[in-house]
Amino acid sequence: MNMVRRATARVAPVVTVMAILIALPLAAQVRHEDILKSPAEEWLTYAGDYASQRYSPLDQINIDTVKALVPKWVYHFKGARRLETSPLVHDGIMYVTNTNELHAIDARTGRRLWGYFAEGVKRSRANRGVALVDDRVFLVTSDAHLVALHRVTGALLWDTEFASTEEGYHSSVAPLAVKNQVLVGVGGGGSGQRGFVASIDATTGEELWRTWTVPAEGEPGSETWGGFPSKWSGAPTWTTGSFDPELNLIYWPTGNPWPDFYGGRRMGDNLYSDSVLALDADTGGMKWYFQFTPHDVWDWDANETPVLVDLEFKGRLRKLMLQANRNGFFYVLDRTTGEFLLATPFVEKLTWASGVDKNGRPILIPGMEPTPGGIKVCPSVRGASNWMSPTFHPETGLLYVVTLEQCDIYSSSAKEPIPDSGFRGTGGQRVPADPGEFFLRAIEPTTGKVAWEYPMPGPAVMWGGTVSTAGGLVFSADDDGNLIAFNAKTGEDLWHFSTGHMFYASPTTWMIDGKQYVTIAAESDVFTFGLFDGD
Amino acid sequence: MASVGVLFLLFAAAAGLGAQPLSIAGEPLSPYASDSAAVEAGRQLFVDTCSPCHGPTGEGGRGPSLVDGRQVRRASDPELFDVVKNGLRATDMPPSPFTDEQTWKVVAFLRSLSASAIEANAPGNVEAGSQLFWGSAGCSSCHSIRGLGGVPGPDLTDIGVVRRVDQLKESIVDPGARIADGFLGVEATKRSGQKIKGVAKLDTNYSLRLLDTAGRLHFLDKRDLTAVEAAKESLMPGNYAEKLSEDQVRDLVAYLSRQSIRGKAQK
Repeated sequence: MNMVRRATARVAPVVTVMAILIALPLAAQVRHEDILKSPAEEWLTYAGDYASQRYSPLDQINIDTVKALVPKWVYHFKGARRLETSPLVHDGIMYVTNTNELHAIDARTGRRLWGYFAEGVKRSRANRGVALVDDRVFLVTSDAHLVALHRVTGALLWDTEFASTEEGYHSSVAPLAVKNQVLVGVGGGGSGQRGFVASIDATTGEELWRTWTVPAEGEPGSETWGGFPSKWSGAPTWTTGSFDPELNLIYWPTGNPWPDFYGGRRMGDNLYSDSVLALDADTGGMKWYFQFTPHDVWDWDANETPVLVDLEFKGRLRKLMLQANRNGFFYVLDRTTGEFLLATPFVEKLTWASGVDKNGRPILIPGMEPTPGGIKVCPSVRGASNWMSPTFHPETGLLYVVTLEQCDIYSSSAKEPIPDSGFRGTGGQRVPADPGEFFLRAIEPTTGKVAWEYPMPGPAVMWGGTVSTAGGLVFSADDDGNLIAFNAKTGEDLWHFSTGHMFYASPTTWMIDGKQYVTIAAESDVFTFGLFDGD
Repeated sequence: MASVGVLFLLFAAAAGLGAQPLSIAGEPLSPYASDSAAVEAGRQLFVDTCSPCHGPTGEGGRGPSLVDGRQVRRASDPELFDVVKNGLRATDMPPSPFTDEQTWKVVAFLRSLSASAIEANAPGNVEAGSQLFWGSAGCSSCHSIRGLGGVPGPDLTDIGVVRRVDQLKESIVDPGARIADGFLGVEATKRSGQKIKGVAKLDTNYSLRLLDTAGRLHFLDKRDLTAVEAAKESLMPGNYAEKLSEDQVRDLVAYLSRQSIRGKAQK
């Protein structure tokens, strides 16, 4: 190879002062229309597409070629312990995050072009990725600021605080860019902060609208809280929502009511906790909601990704929303109206409800509420699934869900709750003899039946997700540090790579210079794979 | 480059003017947070014991630099105290022989190494500094603040937080003293003879990523290049010490020292 080395000191300076003035240059823009077409070669939004199907039309890596998949580069995040970032790729640059950090990586080589390390942040939480709009890249910091940077130079543009740490708020969400808005959410289900979705103007940083996930005192729905103060209610918004451009609706899931495990002070359904909210994309107005777990006392946030699909359901083509919920039921809703269509268990270990009624309301099994002494209930606190991304493959018509079969011993406390004190009214503990096991399950959306499953032996600690491709593949993290490629139709494992790390993130796939790659973050490193080409 | 002695004075001055520790509710804070005498005492302890690895001014050597500030600024006082006192497990950083009182003084000195300029209330006419930045001094031709200004110089939106006052001054009057990562001026020649100038955001044996003066990022494979020539000096003009009066430099520093993305926008 003919390498060119940097000139030595004898070389005179060759670059003179550069003079370009006023407003940073326009980089290749990420327009709303581009995100509407994503993912193609690029991965432009958290789930790849607004429908959150996490399906890529790329097929260079396919059932036949995947055996030649090899590591191309590994990017190390100094000091990272648990990367949860979902990488975005645009115009040769990959954007990945860690707590209060954004790194712009050269996608071809896996080397850093620039990094942003937020200063003065008072909290330290996971971070799940960025949003792209125009020539800007956006991330949240742990103390609930949205930061805008120039996506090529890394220049800081603005920083908007959308919630206060003084009130106990924090944030970890990957923002969602819709038109010229950047949508953000907050944590707080475990510490007593009232959830909301906020829309922030991508150009100015000004807040455009905010929709609270819990009605204020006196508003419709507030009667479902038994007088519990709305400001401590929880129902956080820490997972990225989905968007239907035809209906102009955003689907944002909400988390548990607080205190998580004791409901005696908040008698009622606790709207709109553990729900999905359908919000007008321009105003934030709530068009409908559906609550999965009324009066939750098991910390079963509904923060699993809502997947939007158009399928024939009982003889009629309908716009559907799918969610494999933390409470153990797989749900199908009509996403135009919010009408409940189907709910079936997708785990065997489900002991708190015998089923759902015609409206989708769970039919409770008595005696399953947490007690001071503890009671075994399934699923576990971490849920039958969680925020790890599922994927829908339009050719197989299957939804692939990382599923946890596990129970916990749930205990409760009626102590006076103090927000932001660590008090959750207490919690769930593992059953030592039953540590749980992950499975990748392929669910037939209109019936809820499991077409195939793949057991993932391991310590039941991972938090990794999936991506599927037109190459007939599903990629999934497993519970043993492997990235695995499956035949999407049959579930046959065709390829795997042991990273030596545990996963807390979901994979993506993208193409550059005519070559397809698969990327996943794991603990402290970002791994990128491509087909062996001798280069 | 400024002499070591001058730097010491500058460190002490910066610290004395306002080096504030991060405070975390309920945790002990350094008893010497703004005590310039303690900073100087801490410096002497540091020179005697820590400089073999970190250098007498904390610029780093066998051990990491302590002046870029990020790690030190992010750490709480108790965390810094613990590292100085007990070392870092599984690294070459050993426990120190300092008493608790001495350790707190070293912590005070470490804080002074990364004291944010914005805390220092640097003297000078901020408005005059702004006019220089956006006008006659030409800074905004290459630097940006809050999305306005030029490329490819470092963005200065948060510069008052990430640099000390003396570092800001040094960057103006002696820009070649240190060049920020990713801002080395380079000219690459392609096999076609085309030349591309810019700053090297990434430069390895295999690839070069150049940000040019129009803000375009060039993805270059070293195999396609016949020459890569580095600017020997900073791209920033080196004559500001002559071009600007002492008062103007002071005003410019005053303006820059107040730039913070989380602070109020100032222009």
